[in-house]
Amino acid sequence: MANLKTQFFGLELKSPVIAASSSMTADLNQIKKLAKAGAGAIVLKSIFEEEIDTQLQEELTKSRDLEPDPEYLDYFDYIIKDENLKDYTNLIKQAKEAVDVPIVASVSCISASDWVLFAQKLAEAGADALELNLFLLPADVYKTSYHNEQFYFETIKKVLEVVSIPVSIKISHYFSNLGNVVKKLSETGVAGITLFNRFYSPDIDIRNETVIGADVLSHDNDYLLPLRWTGILSSKIDCPLSATTGIHAAETVIKFLLAGASAVQVASVLYNGGAEMISQFNEEIAEWMDEKAYTEINDFKGKLAISSKHVAVYERAQFMKYFSAKRY
Amino acid sequence: MEEYLKIEREKEWRADLRKTIKNKERIELQRVKMPSLDPMERIKYQDREVNLGLDIQSAKAEAVRCMDCVNPTCIEGCPVSINIPKFIKNIERGEVLEAAKALKETSALPAVCGRVCPQEKQCEANCFYTLKLKKEPVAIGFLERFAADFEQNSDTISVPETAPGNNIKVAAIGSGPASLSFAGDMVKLGYDVTVFEALHEIGGVLKYGIPEFRLPNKVVDIELESLRKMGVKFERNFIVGRTASFNDLKEEGFQAFFVASGAGLPRFMNLPGENYNGILSSNEYLTRVNLMHAAQDNYDTPVLKGKNVAVIGGGNTAMDSVRTAKRLGAERAMIVYRRSREEMPARVEEVHHAEEEGIEFLNLNNPVEYFADENGRVNRMRVQKMELGEPDASGRRRPVVIEGSEYDIPVDVVVVAIGVSPNPLVPSELPDLKVSRWGTIDVDPETMQSSMPELFAGGDIVRGGATVILAMGDGRKAAAGMHQYLLTANKTNKEKIEAKAK
Repeated sequence: MANLKTQFFGLELKSPVIAASSSMTADLNQIKKLAKAGAGAIVLKSIFEEEIDTQLQEELTKSRDLEPDPEYLDYFDYIIKDENLKDYTNLIKQAKEAVDVPIVASVSCISASDWVLFAQKLAEAGADALELNLFLLPADVYKTSYHNEQFYFETIKKVLEVVSIPVSIKISHYFSNLGNVVKKLSETGVAGITLFNRFYSPDIDIRNETVIGADVLSHDNDYLLPLRWTGILSSKIDCPLSATTGIHAAETVIKFLLAGASAVQVASVLYNGGAEMISQFNEEIAEWMDEKAYTEINDFKGKLAISSKHVAVYERAQFMKYFSAKRY
Repeated sequence: MEEYLKIEREKEWRADLRKTIKNKERIELQRVKMPSLDPMERIKYQDREVNLGLDIQSAKAEAVRCMDCVNPTCIEGCPVSINIPKFIKNIERGEVLEAAKALKETSALPAVCGRVCPQEKQCEANCFYTLKLKKEPVAIGFLERFAADFEQNSDTISVPETAPGNNIKVAAIGSGPASLSFAGDMVKLGYDVTVFEALHEIGGVLKYGIPEFRLPNKVVDIELESLRKMGVKFERNFIVGRTASFNDLKEEGFQAFFVASGAGLPRFMNLPGENYNGILSSNEYLTRVNLMHAAQDNYDTPVLKGKNVAVIGGGNTAMDSVRTAKRLGAERAMIVYRRSREEMPARVEEVHHAEEEGIEFLNLNNPVEYFADENGRVNRMRVQKMELGEPDASGRRRPVVIEGSEYDIPVDVVVVAIGVSPNPLVPSELPDLKVSRWGTIDVDPETMQSSMPELFAGGDIVRGGATVILAMGDGRKAAAGMHQYLLTANKTNKEKIEAKAK
C-alpha cells in the first residue's frame, strides 16, 4: 500500500495535499473536516496587512453621532492590530485543540516592519509553522528590482531572527531573474518555498464602465505556470518546493510531484467540491502509485524535473517547433 | 433657543452697546495677546500656570471686537451652547459678574473651559471673523477665563438657582467633567444628586490628567464648591460595582444612573522591550505628578525622573507629559510622533507653549523597539523614520515607514501617550449593558440613554476619548434625557402605588 508521507513547512506531513489559506481555513468546522479528509497540513487563513488598514479606515470614517477627540483615533491601528492578533491566536489555539494535523499560521505583508512581531506572537500561540505570504505586485514605477527584492530578503531575515518555528514563504512569479531569486531565497534558511501566489485580477465591466474583480477561483490551466517553474527549479535549490494554483485533480498533484514539488496547496477545488476532495485525491494518488509500484513519494519525486533531457521543453516556449509548421 | 437668543440680544443695554462703536471700527482692532510666564522660568515649576490671564482693560478691549451678530455662529461651535455674545457684551460694559452668570447658565465649569477647550476648533472657528473676514477670531476662550476668574476672585460667586427638592435620588459614576455638568443640571431641576468617585479627589481628568501649569487644581475646587452649594453630594473612595453594586444602590433608593467613568485605561504599542523599567503610560505618569504631587519632595509618591525623556504621541496628553518631564528636570524632553507637526491633534496653544519651553519635536519618527541596561532599565529607543503617504479615509496623510531608516536614541524614561481606552469596570459588572467592540457604552445620541433604561452614559466612556467640553455637553444631554425618563418612570411608579392603595 502506498505511503503518502512527505516533508514540507519543515514538518513531516502524512499527505502531500495541503489545505491552502482560504476562508475555509478560518472556520473551525471546516478545519475539522479538512483534517478528517486527510489534509497533510492546514494553512490558516492569512492575516493581511491591508485588512488591518481596511478596518482602520472603517473606524476613521464611520459616521458617529458622538465624536471622539482626534487623539483617540490617532494610533487606533495599534488597537486593531492587537484585536486581530488576539482573534488569530485564538484560532490557532482552537485549531490545535481540535485536530492533530499540523497547523500553519499565515501572514501576508507588503512591508517589512511590525509584522515581525506579529510573526513572533503567532509562533508563541502554538502554530507548528509559519507561512509568510510575500507578494509584491511590482506596480510602483519608481521602485527598482533591487528595492523589490530587498523587501523579500529583509522580511525573511527579520522574521527568522525572532521566530523559532519553521518559516516558509509563498512568492509571486514577478521577477525578471526568477531562477536566481528563488535560488537565493532558498539559501536564507526558510523551510520551504511555495510557487506561486495568485493575485486577484481586475476586469472591466463595459456596461457600467467600471473596474471589477475577475473570477476569484482558479481555472484548470492555471497550474501550468507553477508547473514549469517547479520543473526548472526543484533540483537546483536548497529547500523543498510546494506549488499552488489550479490544482483541481489528483492527476495534477502527481504532475507536480514528478516535477519535483514536495507538496501542493489547494483551495478552489475545495470550495467547489468540499473538504472531501482531499481524501479523493489521496486515494487516487495512492492508486497511481500502486499501479506504478511506487511505495513512497520519494520513489518518484522529481523524476521529471529538469535535467539535460527536459531543458528544451521546460525552458523555451517551443512555439517555433510546434506551431511553425501549422498552416491555416 | 433662537427665541431666547433674540430676546437677550434685543435688550436695551445690548442695543445701546452696539451703537457705541461702529462695526467698521471694531474690525480694525487687533486680537489681544495672552500674557504668559517666561518659558525658561516657568519650566522650573510644575504648579505655576503658564497663561497669566487678561486684565480688565485688555478684556474690555477684546470684548469690543465682538460684533454681537444677529446670527451668532460662534454658539454653534460650543458643545454646551454658551450664550457667547451675552457674556462678552457684559464684559464690554463692565458687568463682569453678570458675564460670569451668563456663562453659568449652561456651563458648570467656565474657569476650566476657558483654559482647556480647543477653541480654535470650536467657538473661535465659527466666529464671524474666521468665517467671513479671514481674520483672527474674537478671543472667546481668553474672555471666558477672564470672567470666570474674576468671579472666583471676587466675594460674590454666583450660585445658580435650584428648583425645590423632589426627593428623587440619582447617581453619577465618576466625578469628571461629564458628571459635574450632569450633576449641575440635575440639581437645578430639584433632584437629589450623589456623585460617586473611585479616587480620593473629585474632578477626574481635571485633577489627575491636566497639569497644574495648565489648569490649577485650586480653580477646579472653586467650581466644585459652587456645585456643593447647589446641593450636589460627593462620595469619594467609592467604586460603584465594587464598594457597592448597582443593585445595592437601587436598594438605597437611587432611581437612575449616569455612568461617566471615563477612558482611563492605558494603551501601549506592544513593542519588544516595552515592559522594561522606565517605560510607563501617560496615565500613570500624569496621575503621579498631578494627583499625587510626586514632583514635590514632601509627598510620598515617587515618579521617575529622566535626563532623556521621550514621549510617544501627539495629542494634549503627550504635550502635558512632555512639558511635565521638562519641569521634572529632563535635559532632553522629546516628542516622538509619527506624523508631521501640523497634524498633531494637540491644542495649537499647547504645541506653541511646548516649543517655547524647549521641547524637541521628533516628527515623522516612530518607536519600534526598546533596549535596557543590565538592571532592566530602558537606555535606548530604536525609532524608524516615516514619510507621509497617501491620505487615509479621513483625509490625513498616512505615515509610511522608510525602510532601513532605523536609528537609536538614548532615553531613560519613556512615556507612552498614544491614546486611552474606556474604563472596563462598569461594563464588566453589567453583562446586559450593550457595549461596542472597543468597550464604549452604546447610547442613544439624543438622550444618552443606554440599553438599560435606568442607565445613561456620557463622556469618554461613550466616545472613547474626548475633550472636557464634549463630556460636559454629554452630561447636559443626559440630564435632560434622564429627567424625561424619570417623569414617565415616576408616573408609572405613582400609578402602581395608587393601584396598591385601592
